[in-house]
Amino acid sequence: MTKKNNINRMKILIIEDEPELKELVKNFLESENYRVEVADSYHSGLDKIITYDYDCILLDIMLPDGNGLMLLKELEKLDKKDSVIIISAKDSIDDKVKGLELGADDYLTKPFHMAELNARIKSVLRRKHSEEHRFTEIKNVKINFDERLVFVNGQKVELNRKEFDILVFLTMNTNRVVSKSAIAENIWGDYIDQSDDFDFIYSQVKNLRKKLRIYQAEIEINTIYGIGYKLLLK
Amino acid sequence: MKLINYTLGFYATILFVTVSLWGVLFYSQLLWQVRSSIDEGLADYKIIIIDNLKNDSTIIQSSNFGKNKYIVKQIDENYALKITDTYRDTLIYSTLKQSKYRARLLTTAFLDENGRFYEMKVISQEINRGKLIRKFLFSLLGMLLFLLIGTALVNNFALKKTWKPFYRVLNLLNGFRLDQKLPDKNFPASQIHEFNLLNNSVKKLVNTNREIYESQKHFIENVSHEMQTPLAIGMNKLEMLVDSEELSEPQLQTIGDIIDTFKRLSGLNKSLLLLSKIKNKQFLSEENIDFDDVFIRTINNLTDYIDFWGINVAYNKSGNFVHKMNPDLAGILMMNLVKNAVTHNCQNGKIIIRMTSASFSIGNTGKKEAIPSDRIFQRFNKDAENKRSTGLGLAIVKAVTNASGLDINYSFNGKHIFSVTKTMN
Repeated sequence: MTKKNNINRMKILIIEDEPELKELVKNFLESENYRVEVADSYHSGLDKIITYDYDCILLDIMLPDGNGLMLLKELEKLDKKDSVIIISAKDSIDDKVKGLELGADDYLTKPFHMAELNARIKSVLRRKHSEEHRFTEIKNVKINFDERLVFVNGQKVELNRKEFDILVFLTMNTNRVVSKSAIAENIWGDYIDQSDDFDFIYSQVKNLRKKLRIYQAEIEINTIYGIGYKLLLK
Repeated sequence: MKLINYTLGFYATILFVTVSLWGVLFYSQLLWQVRSSIDEGLADYKIIIIDNLKNDSTIIQSSNFGKNKYIVKQIDENYALKITDTYRDTLIYSTLKQSKYRARLLTTAFLDENGRFYEMKVISQEINRGKLIRKFLFSLLGMLLFLLIGTALVNNFALKKTWKPFYRVLNLLNGFRLDQKLPDKNFPASQIHEFNLLNNSVKKLVNTNREIYESQKHFIENVSHEMQTPLAIGMNKLEMLVDSEELSEPQLQTIGDIIDTFKRLSGLNKSLLLLSKIKNKQFLSEENIDFDDVFIRTINNLTDYIDFWGINVAYNKSGNFVHKMNPDLAGILMMNLVKNAVTHNCQNGKIIIRMTSASFSIGNTGKKEAIPSDRIFQRFNKDAENKRSTGLGLAIVKAVTNASGLDINYSFNGKHIFSVTKTMN
């Protein structure tokens, strides 16, 4: 790995007390080429926050020795600009509102898919550096997030809302298997839950795949049988 | 009936009965007093007349009461000796007035200096009993009215002041919600022992309930946390395994099946948690919900899901069903009804929604026979052949309607129809 690469690697801090989840997230984010540090309590988290700067902090609000929301207040006191994604087991609107009011950038309810976490981190980081990250380019495909437009070789591709969202979600997880349930939760949110059948996603993906092929995009969506989809570079 | 009116009615009845009884007693007492004083007057008059008769024989009259109001008649000794002084009420004809009037009559006998016996009848002034009763009743009623008004004023003032702590507690309980604390300052100490007892009991009751509510809530949150996280870790690890290894198609299929099983378990857990959250009344805020909006939103979000099964949705609207309830629950209700209609439909089936201002119903094609309506809303009453059913959707629907003042009914007329109406009170 070159020196330049090292500098550009984003730094992420995970503050989470559950060892298994912490390891899982750490391994996943490292495989996404982030520099990852972990803290398993309020106090060790606070030490790290004071000492270092992070691009993004994943913050569990139920910690054994304190409430994660207090760390948000500390960050504000320290005048730090680290992005924060709250991770909570509570699907509680109160905590969500409180957290966002205290300056968190996003809120993710446990349990979540790694693909979802990946997408959230990327969009938080993108917003932070909004100037250079308004677009993303993968091979000959260019996505404009603000205007919700997709170009292949400079040619505009007409996508409906769901197709666009699926494409964005898959590009954020390029070269990874993304399960149908992760896609369903990301795109359809609360309306589709774990107990529903996700086969209906197939028709949207089929249309998206067809359009990408017509415009000769250098990416393709592979079906991973029984599990989900994977966006690959040609 | 308001407390204030109730006690006032009570007082009024007691006052009326006692004052009436007192009136009757007082009237008879008064009448007796009047008679005895008239009788004394007649006795005095008798002596005067007898004295006068000794000096003046012209007073002896025959049959009529003249202006002197007495009759003196000579009688024989035997008869005279039988006469004792008697007083009685009698009717006298007045030639002056041409009518009869009521008066007291004294019958007596006496012996003059010449040894002659006389019978004498003396009458009193007219006793106008009717006038007496009228006047008496009038002042009695006046007094009763005065007493009633006085009682009402005192009652109003005293009750309002005395029962103030009671009404405060009543208002507090009316507005009380389990998710809100009731600070102690809402229960100021009262001079009245009973109200302090009431305050303490209410405080205790409220706090106990709040504690139970809180611990239930925490339990549910903890269950959610403890079960969901291991499931999610397992699912994510499997997904990462698929990424990191080159796996054969049968291996992928197996992993996919395991992921699906985890997914169903996780969904089941979520649904059960939702069910107990609803039953624990953890959805509290309410607003007026227009179910037309809820329906449109639900259908828009489920379009892909519905289209995938080739199901046709028809919407007949003749009014807007508006009901005051929790907005999240309204969404959950509609979503579960629509999903139920999709899940138990047939390929290229139909869903028909009818909405009026009084009710809405969702009908779907599907199995050709009715479902026993006593079992349909029970948990895990599911179609064994249908893998997509968790058996909890309609239980959730039922729980939402119960918690929101709505009724749900199932009927079958070739289509399975679920209709929602407001609960009649």
